[in-house]
Amino acid sequence: MSATETLPGAAAAAPRTIPPVDRESRRLGFRLTLPTQLLVLFIAGFPLLMQLYISLTDWSPLDGVGWWKAWESWNSFANYTDLLEDRRWWGALWRTFIIMLVCVPAEFLLALGLATLFMDDFPGKRIFYSILLMPMMVVPAVAGYMFFMLFQSGGPFNGILSALTGMDIRIAWLSDPTLALVAVMIADIWQWTPLMFLILLAGLVGVPEDQLKAATLLGANWRQRFFTIMLPRIKTIMVIALAIRVIEIFKIFDTLYIMTGGGPGVATETISVYIYKVTTQDLIWGYVAAIALVILIALSVLAVFAMKRMEAAKNGGRA
Amino acid sequence: MRRSPAFEIFRYAAIALALALTLLPILWMVSMAFKPIPEWSATGADLTWIPRAPTLDNFRFVFGESTSDLIVALERTAWRPILASLLSAVFGTIIAMVCGTAAAYGLSRFGSGKNLPLALIQLRLFPPMAVMIPVMIMWAFLGLIDTWWGLALIYGIVTLPFAFWLMKTFFDEMPREIEEAALVEGCSRFRVFMKITLPVMRAPLASSALLVFILNWSDYLIALLLTTKNWVTIPVYMASLSSSMTGQLYGAKAALGLLAAIPPVILGIAIQKHLVRGLTFGALKQ
Repeated sequence: MSATETLPGAAAAAPRTIPPVDRESRRLGFRLTLPTQLLVLFIAGFPLLMQLYISLTDWSPLDGVGWWKAWESWNSFANYTDLLEDRRWWGALWRTFIIMLVCVPAEFLLALGLATLFMDDFPGKRIFYSILLMPMMVVPAVAGYMFFMLFQSGGPFNGILSALTGMDIRIAWLSDPTLALVAVMIADIWQWTPLMFLILLAGLVGVPEDQLKAATLLGANWRQRFFTIMLPRIKTIMVIALAIRVIEIFKIFDTLYIMTGGGPGVATETISVYIYKVTTQDLIWGYVAAIALVILIALSVLAVFAMKRMEAAKNGGRA
Repeated sequence: MRRSPAFEIFRYAAIALALALTLLPILWMVSMAFKPIPEWSATGADLTWIPRAPTLDNFRFVFGESTSDLIVALERTAWRPILASLLSAVFGTIIAMVCGTAAAYGLSRFGSGKNLPLALIQLRLFPPMAVMIPVMIMWAFLGLIDTWWGLALIYGIVTLPFAFWLMKTFFDEMPREIEEAALVEGCSRFRVFMKITLPVMRAPLASSALLVFILNWSDYLIALLLTTKNWVTIPVYMASLSSSMTGQLYGAKAALGLLAAIPPVILGIAIQKHLVRGLTFGALKQ
């Protein structure tokens, strides 16, 4: 979408989107945004400074001194250098990436395929649509428990495999390092393909019907219509859908933790699970603060990028 | 567009497969919730898809009744976790909606708080686990650990970005004429906001609030870190349920899981129309 295309509309809307801002409005605007500003400051400003401070020490809640006295165990940047050599951390990061590299493309392709089937009307569409969206509304912890049951060695998943193959299959999915990771990925794909489907379908429905008809009249087959008309039209939307899922994968915790607890061993330990364990079991909070800060900085860069894409989408992606 | 019969057959077959895969985990849990203890872990050829002797014992058990000689009645029943989930999610929603709606209006109409969109996107982006150390320290200092109001406060902050962005897109779209008419009549801007804008925006407000509620209700990690005993929420309570005598309490957990899963699924279907907008921060609309 070029900027020129949006200009006429923008020009027409301009007088109304910039209301005369008098003193009364400015004061009201300030007051209305104040509570949110304070909450943001409360959760971001002070805590970040606290986190930075603690991350430079060996402080632990077991030390018996308040966090403000953490300087007593000052260790300069030792936490950050330790992080470079922490194999468990790199393992967790690597696993998080693997999950992302498998799940996000799988969810995307499944969702895109499904969405193309839902583009026009057919009997039963509404009810199928509602059912297909259900997984993303299930409480993630409950979804984790569902898959915990499904993947028991005597559970229904093996039961279906047995019925299909005619053999008595008793795979202990959640106690095998590789299969546990597979199981966790299946659960993620089950729960989040619907979100992709929802977003991509919203994009596809926005593709103008007359363009598709014109292309059909000109003799384009469905493959040409799909790749030359539909996909380019929903490019921004695809980027948004993918970005949302990539971000969410970095947070993955609930489902996974209920299913495997990060185990067996550290086989399904992602960054969130790793941080959780160091926080609650090892209790070295100085170190956790350092890890957390590194993640926050990395994601902040991503946030600025995502923000720009969203602005771009708003200015043209929906035309 | 007209489709060929072959395509229709393919479409229904593909959708049928997708439906089956979607429903399998859900139906297994529903079925488990109604199974009596002997059927809980039947395996192999005995795998029970539909309970042979359906019972409500699992539900009665999680609410404290002794239903079998095999398991001891629960000391701590599901009532309190349900209350904790409800209170923290409802009040978290109120905090997020009140602050988010006001700020969204301030930005949309008067251009105040231009830093908020990016600040809130960042808030949304961070894994909760990466900001929990300071939060745990602060909450301990403020005496908010293991209280429903402490949970409500953090839920309100965590879902504030959704409330803000969703309401901002609704305010941006709302025609100004109604407000302008009232201004000409001599109403103050604040009165216009309270008496005209908010009532007009009833439906968007309601669906935003429901989305925020679903998100709050779905939390597990934050409650796991910030509650210990008195105010654990349903997911935390469910995960902790086990018995020294029978190990996993499959049926009881499934019953509880079902109770926890029903509200968001129903509410989610009710606000389907606004889901895309809510979950993509207003970048997309249906």
